[in-house]
Amino acid sequence: MSKRQLAMVMDLNKCIGCQTCTVACKTQWTNRNGREYMYWNNVETYPGTGYPKNWMELGGGFDAAGDLQAGVIPNLEADYGVPWDYNYESLMTDSADHSRFQPHVSPTWGPNWDEDQGAGAFPQDNYFFYLPRICNHCTNPGCLSACPRDAIFKREEDGVVLVDLDRCQGYRYCIAGCPYKKIYFNPKISKSEKCILCFPRIEQGLPPACAQQCVGRIRFVGFLDDEESQVHKLVHKYKVAIGLRTDYGTQPNVYYIPPTESPAKFDAEGKIIEGSTRLPIEELEKLFGKEVHGAIKTLKAEMKKRKETGVSELMDLLIAYQHSDMFRLDNHYYQQVAKDQKRNPLAPVDTRYIAGKFTKAGGHH
Amino acid sequence: MTKIVTSLLSLSLACSAALAADAAISAVKVTDSLDAVKANSAVWSKAKFSSVTLYPQTSIEMNDKNANAITDTLKAKKAQVGALYDGKNIALMVKWADGSKDVQAGYASTTYSDGFAVQLAGTTAKPQPLPYIGMGSAGRPVVVHLQKANEKVYEPNGNMDVSTQINRNQTALFGKELKEYDAKVASLATTNYARTFVGEGFRSLTEVKDGSAKSTSGMVYANGGWSGTLVRPLQDAYVNLSGTVPLAIAVWDGSKMGRNGVKNLSAWVAVNLEGQKPNEALLADLTTDSKGDATKGKAALETNGCNGCHQMSAADPKNFMAPSLRTIGGYSTAGYLRESIVKPSAVVVPGYNRNAHKNTPWYTLEKGKRISTMTDFSHLDKNTVEDIVAYLQSLKAEVE
Repeated sequence: MSKRQLAMVMDLNKCIGCQTCTVACKTQWTNRNGREYMYWNNVETYPGTGYPKNWMELGGGFDAAGDLQAGVIPNLEADYGVPWDYNYESLMTDSADHSRFQPHVSPTWGPNWDEDQGAGAFPQDNYFFYLPRICNHCTNPGCLSACPRDAIFKREEDGVVLVDLDRCQGYRYCIAGCPYKKIYFNPKISKSEKCILCFPRIEQGLPPACAQQCVGRIRFVGFLDDEESQVHKLVHKYKVAIGLRTDYGTQPNVYYIPPTESPAKFDAEGKIIEGSTRLPIEELEKLFGKEVHGAIKTLKAEMKKRKETGVSELMDLLIAYQHSDMFRLDNHYYQQVAKDQKRNPLAPVDTRYIAGKFTKAGGHH
Repeated sequence: MTKIVTSLLSLSLACSAALAADAAISAVKVTDSLDAVKANSAVWSKAKFSSVTLYPQTSIEMNDKNANAITDTLKAKKAQVGALYDGKNIALMVKWADGSKDVQAGYASTTYSDGFAVQLAGTTAKPQPLPYIGMGSAGRPVVVHLQKANEKVYEPNGNMDVSTQINRNQTALFGKELKEYDAKVASLATTNYARTFVGEGFRSLTEVKDGSAKSTSGMVYANGGWSGTLVRPLQDAYVNLSGTVPLAIAVWDGSKMGRNGVKNLSAWVAVNLEGQKPNEALLADLTTDSKGDATKGKAALETNGCNGCHQMSAADPKNFMAPSLRTIGGYSTAGYLRESIVKPSAVVVPGYNRNAHKNTPWYTLEKGKRISTMTDFSHLDKNTVEDIVAYLQSLKAEVE
């Protein structure tokens, strides 16, 4: 466990599935150099296959006894989908025949292949919601446990989980070990890569790109031990933000406000069935466990209180009147950490090996 | 009838041959310079090749479900190993059969490459006790030369040249200029994946990047098998090779999802540098099996409850408390087994991350030193220990 822990809270009532976060992340980190297929941030439709395909059934994480579970490494073509690109050059030729403008592979699968499909029968009781996912920067990371090279580490100062690319040898056990399948194999460099929680931004006091760009203002970022932080209040004070699939035993640090609002069902004549709700609570229980009941109760109670009295700290928090109200980060903190550790604030290094313990003149550069 | 008896006899001979420790390899002294030796160099005609058995690693199970299903069916392989040395370098050639040439290539997440590695015991005043076969142990470092059959690998950040870290479609380039850009990016790839590591137990391996370990290696696929070559100095900052050199060999089969622990490895084998005085004690330890009684050893092992923590056969339930011993004999010397019974804390590998199985910690940390949670069996009499060692040495995977 790290000394401090950064956390993100995502309000699923507000996510509109616009994928701005996905694009913010992709253009920043994963549109090049073997990462093209990776989505460090993705927004999937739930219920749905998710990304990679059926990730919840691919193993990893821990059982009740705390033993790491074996998992499966998804196949790039079948489970992630090969990101296709186009032969833009063909448009620049003199030929009037632009029919040759085509994807370089025939697309067979990709993220959001089943976007907005959801479950149920339209229009009576169909439903879905959006589930944005990034690395959970777990307190007990499955990827870290699985690595036989000590190449994955959790930063002491903020709990961000990083891959030391100098140590990583591309064995991919981390992918099998992560129950969220949020660590990826980069075939070009033959190493594993993952969401870095935009630590170079965080260290400057800026939120991660996905949170900064979120048009729905669903993402809160801060330190869990900072009682003034939005994340602390949502997770610990009001207990309305819950980790995803905590039954995997990795203690995730991305928390979700469960979707509380869903429309009523229609009967055969297309009339509203009063008091019904489309989103089955069992689905939310599967994702967020039994605590989801308490969270929904609190949210409904606070909504009512706000309507009746006009006052609710929780509702004010969730509305987030100012963009800056959603983040509590502190670049001074990181400057102090760097000073204490006598290192460059931006150096993403695993300090356990920096002294070059096993090489004569220092193996870590 | 005679035919049957003969074939049975030859079968049993084959079995006992498979069970015995591998004989020492003779490194032939040559006058040719070995600096530029490759797999096809003529000088290899002077080498004497000996058989080395490579056993599937089953002590530690990794967490890849698909790979584990394959590993359970893996058999031992025979490799042919030849060695040459001049005054300065030692050259090794490892030849092993592999039905398919697997090269980690292309845009794929589930392909793995064939490869081989040579492990040498690091500089110590005494060559014995040897480091643990699995990448050394605390205070007993090893040097591992790894060669993989990768096609192209790009080091992250390369030389910090950010101008090539752009998606080709996001450059402002078209036509000829884009082709030049592609060529520039391609030129940054490494095509020979050869690395040297030092370590004191698995997980601790650290790549030597400061030029303090020089070696050249390569691997060539032909006629259903690989020939891997390694040339390295007899002396450098990490090893000092003379007389009898203990080394170990591992091979990976990409088609079997081989990488890291999913591999076939030898026990420590002896290489005698011809013309130099062999280290008789080391040679004896590496080439002869324990003289104990394996049947008595099996009984003693059960009496002492070893199988309470150690998995002794594939049918036994898994136990994360201790390494599986079901094929331990293939890659362990008698010396190592003996030491581990009477001094369990002498070699405690950091192994798997302890938080992978936190309720079954196989060591505790005392003043930074790993203390094994295994009971110390130094109270057993010498003969019983020897019997147990003989039994453990008999536990080997079948040869394919």
